[in-house]
Formats: sequence, C-alpha cells, structure tokens
Amino acid sequence: HGVSRVKQSQAALEAKRRRERAKLKEYLALSDEILSRKRRNDWSTESLDLTTKMLQINPEFYTVWNYRRDIYLNAVFPNRTPEQINETLEKDLVMTTIALKAHPKIYWIWNHRRWCLEQTPDGPGGEGGDPHGWRMKNWKQELFVVGKMLDVDARNFHAWNYRRYVLTSMPVKKPDIDEFAYTTKKIQASFSNFSAWHQRSKIYPLLWESNVLDHKKSREEEFELVRNAMYTDPEDQSVWVYHRWLVGTTHVFLGEDADLLKREIQAIKELLEEEAGSKWCMESLVHYQTLLVRCHYAALGDEECERLRANTLELLQQLEVLDPLRRQRYRDLGECSIRHESYRRLCG
Amino acid sequence: MASTLLVDRHVSYIQSLGDNKDDLAYHMTAHLRLNAVYWGLTALCVMNRKDALDREEMIDFVMSCWDEGAGAFGSHPDHDAHLHSTLSAIQILIIHDALDRLDVPRVVDFILSLHQPSGVFAGDRFGETDTRFLYCGVAALSLLGHLDKLDVEQTVSYIRKCKNFDGGYGNCIGAESHAAQVFVCVGALAILDRLEEADHQTLGWWLAERQLANGGLNGRPEKKEDVCYSFWVLSALSILNKLNWINSEKLSEFILSAQDPDSGGISDRPNNMVDVFHTLFGVAGLSLIGYPGLDDIDPVYCMPKSVIEKMGLKKGWVALERRKAL
Repeated sequence: HGVSRVKQSQAALEAKRRRERAKLKEYLALSDEILSRKRRNDWSTESLDLTTKMLQINPEFYTVWNYRRDIYLNAVFPNRTPEQINETLEKDLVMTTIALKAHPKIYWIWNHRRWCLEQTPDGPGGEGGDPHGWRMKNWKQELFVVGKMLDVDARNFHAWNYRRYVLTSMPVKKPDIDEFAYTTKKIQASFSNFSAWHQRSKIYPLLWESNVLDHKKSREEEFELVRNAMYTDPEDQSVWVYHRWLVGTTHVFLGEDADLLKREIQAIKELLEEEAGSKWCMESLVHYQTLLVRCHYAALGDEECERLRANTLELLQQLEVLDPLRRQRYRDLGECSIRHESYRRLCG
Repeated sequence: MASTLLVDRHVSYIQSLGDNKDDLAYHMTAHLRLNAVYWGLTALCVMNRKDALDREEMIDFVMSCWDEGAGAFGSHPDHDAHLHSTLSAIQILIIHDALDRLDVPRVVDFILSLHQPSGVFAGDRFGETDTRFLYCGVAALSLLGHLDKLDVEQTVSYIRKCKNFDGGYGNCIGAESHAAQVFVCVGALAILDRLEEADHQTLGWWLAERQLANGGLNGRPEKKEDVCYSFWVLSALSILNKLNWINSEKLSEFILSAQDPDSGGISDRPNNMVDVFHTLFGVAGLSLIGYPGLDDIDPVYCMPKSVIEKMGLKKGWVALERRKAL
C-alpha cells in the first residue's frame, strides 16, 4: 500500500538488482538456516539470536516469531527464575517498541507484545511479595507506549485495539471515567477523530450502567458537546454518526422521546440556515423527521405529520442533486417513506 | 490514462509474478505466498483466463505448503500452518477441482481447534483472534462441507458483539468499524444464514459513505481511497442488496485509473506500485458492478460464482447486471 510507482530504465533496474543480489543471498541464507534449525527443534541461544536478526529485517515473517516463542517456551523459561523470565520479556517488549515505531501497523508485532505480557510471571518477591507487581509495571508501560503511538497517529486502529486490550487486561483496572476523559481530550484535539468518538460510544454506556454518570445530566452535556462539534465543523461525518447513535441510546426503544427529537431537529434546522447545502444537516433531518413521524404519529396528528413527510421528501430530492454519488439511496429512502405512509393509511 | 480494463496486460503481469526470483521483495513476502497465488488465480478467473497459469504446478505448490505437524497449510513450504493460508489453499484446490488432494478430516480438525469459546477464531496456535479469522474458519468449513460441525450460535454471538454504533464491524469486540472487517462479518453472517443480525439500513448508509468525490472508496471515515475497498465495500453492499447506493460509473473510472498500462497490474490508487492483491480486488469490484467481458464473482466467498453455485453454496446476494461490451 502507498508506494509510488517509479518507472526505471533497464540500466537502473540492472544496477538495483546487482546491489540487491548480495542482500538477497544473505537473506535467503539466513532464512534457510533458521528454518532448518526450526525443523530440527533447535532451541539454542544461537537460534534465538538468529530470529532476532531476521525479525529486525522482516517483522512480517510470522513463522520466525513462532519459532522465537517456541524457543522461549521450550528452552529458556523452564531454566530461568521468574526474575530472569521477566527480564527476558522486558527485552522483547523493548524490541517490539522499536519495531512498532518503524512499522506501526504490522499485526505480528502487536501480537508478540500481547504474548509477552501474558507470559509475565507473578512477582517480584515470593510469598508476601507483590504478585501483580511486574505485570502492573509492564501494563502501565504499555498504556504509555500506546498513548505515544496514538499521539503520532490518532486513527491507528491497531493502537486503539491494543489500548482497549491493555485497559481490560490490567490486573488493577483504570476507572472507565479516566478513559472517558481521554476520549474527550482526543476529540477536543480534533473533532474529526472517528476513532475517538467510537471509543466514547463504548465507554459511555458503561458509565451509565454503573451509575458513575447521572443519565439525564450527562446526556444533556453530551448533546451540548456534540452540537458544539456540529457547529464547529458541519462537514465532519464522525459527529453526525455519533449524534445519530446518541439520539438512539436515549430511548428504551427507538424514538421514545419526541421532545428530544424535536429539539435536535430544531438545532439542525438552525445550522442548515447558516450552512446552506450542508449534506449532513439535510441527511440527519431526513432521518430524525422520519423517526419522529414513525414513532409519534398519534401524538403529532395528521397535519403535522404530513408537513414533516413533505419536508423530508423535499430534502431527499435536494440531496439527490447535492450528493449525486449516493442518489439512489436518497431515492430509496423517499420511496420507503411513501410506501410506509400508504401502508399506514391502509391499516388505519 | 486507460479507460478500459487492460486484460492482456494484467494476465501477463500475473504470469510474471513467479519470475521475480531475483527480487528481494519477492522473497521477503514468502509469508503471503499462498494467499498471493489465490489472489492471482481468482483474478485470472474473473478475467476468463484461468488457464494462464499451469494447473498442476499450482496444485503441487499448494501441497508443498502442507504442515504435516499441524494438519493444515502454511503460506510457503516450511512456514507454519495458519488459518488464512489454509483457506487460500482450499479455495485454490476447489477452483482447480482438486479438493480430493486434501486430507479433509485433518484440516477440519485444525480449523475447529482454533474456534474459541467466545465464538471468534484464532489464526493459529499462538492465539491471535480477529474477525478476519472468524470469516476464514466459517468459509473454510462451509467450502469443505463441514459447517454442521460449527457452533453457529456461539459464532454469531461474537459477531453480534462486534456490531458498532455506525452499523459496521471491527476486528474484535470494541474495535472501530473498518470496511474489511465489515466484509468478513457480513460474509460470515451470509454463510451462516443469519444476515438479519446486521442493521441493513445503518450499515448500508455507512458503506455508501465510503465513496469519495474521486469515485474511489475508503475503508473508514476520513481515510484515503484504495482500490481494495472496491471489493470489501462492494461485496458487503452486494450481500445487503444495496450496490446501487454508490455510483458505479465513477468507481469504475477510479479503478481503471489505478492500472499500470505498461507493466500491467492494478495499484491501491493511481500512480502507485501495483501488486496482485489490488489487481484481484480491482477486477473483482469491476465484476460486481457489471463491467463487460468479465466472469461473475461470488462476493461472499470471493471465488467464481459458477464454482460456488455448483457446490450449492450461493446465497441471496445481488450484483449489477453485466453490461454488453462496446
């Protein structure tokens, strides 16, 4: 992915091949040596060092990661004290940190880190010692490392997944509210961080369920945050998708709170007046107005519903022109609205 | 800038892939070799040129990747067995009508041994779990005719837990939606006949929003377009019967603009290096949106539709009608 196409002359290609010939010979020799040792179940230190060398050159060679782990499990760990095992694992954690700085998206490297953490023995100290001590130290370091990686690339999903893994696996857990604050920090740095909004959508319900946050109050604050984000950058899809979800969560079953829907519709309408032709405003109005009519028909009455439906169809027609790539979806939504209304009338 | 699919060029490109034995890059990608053979073969099938690569040689290569200790396939001779390479092996053997070369019971055991209590699959004995491997496990069992051995409820419950606020799916519980993971989860649901688990309207919307102004598709919000999403996004839309929610003319133009007219092959986006991965997903995407002269591809298995139909495995997906050649 992402490598520029460079047209090289025959001469240049030949020169490149000559330079690589030596490297290639070395690489193949190293690869053959490692694989033949592996076939013989050679768990020596020499073999371990060869895997270190290879993984530095090619961290995607998954069979060599496997061999390395097998050497640890079969020959190294059985002969070492817990302290020594922990030291060995810490060295591999350092090795993978260096590898990740160069290759932040290679699954095999992230994997090996997890394996190291899971292998960490109890300690330090025997009886009366701190059984979580080494693990807590390593896990805290993990959070630090993954935080740094997210500072470099806030959308690296490997890093976010790893972060979630660390948070659930730490022997002594960090409170969810801290992670909630972390997502707030990331979102305030950039509203366009879908990964941070996504993380928020996972933490938020946990905070409600455990009553750490007061449902009504926090919901209102959340709506304010989201509306603020919408007004700041109406073209950012993350916020609109999150808003749609947030509206959905406030009902026991979708659409229960008519007043909330009306209020949000009003806020978006006002934004649309300032940002004429905002696709996201229009798309969201279509969604919420449809929801309002479907769930609160009786309370709204015929006239109001008819007005909402007509406005929705008008918006859909405008969207077909504004966002022609997705023209058919808007047509389908329009047809669905008409069919739904016919069905409703039919059923009385 | 090419405005048609340069089939002959791409066929030559695929044929030449095995000639790169002097290239360091070729050897450094040995960990993907069997997958690459499947990508190349399937691309040839879509272009109606299956015979461009020798059948016997290919079958021999597949069998040379057999890991006797594990009872499954690695990506290259002497490489460890992995679920992903095992699926690729099965797919290649089926396309070449050579499934009889496989020790099916052993392979089924390997696949089932990787099924976790949570419902997801691990990729190998070291336990990395990912919805990609869930798809590999489900698809492989289905292709081998042993899907009945799978605990479907357990598997579906994992997928259900991966569903996100945007209707999409990530690579594990809690992970952000990503088009490739959407493909594997929706594909697995299709194979298991449990598509009702997905939120078709919301997910269809999220998928449609992957199309950018240049016609290309991205994998998640605010990311760049990439030809491989032509398959991941399109196949999911096809399974949900919402292919017309994106503009196929503009997508077609985008894919064609990512061809290398000199060397053949397709890249992730125009003017980048080509590779066989993007070549397959580019032509597969074009096939789904009805590009003339191509063979039909099954979006659930990413294999020729005729092969899947013959096995009785075709699900209710819908592709665009194939346009007549000009």
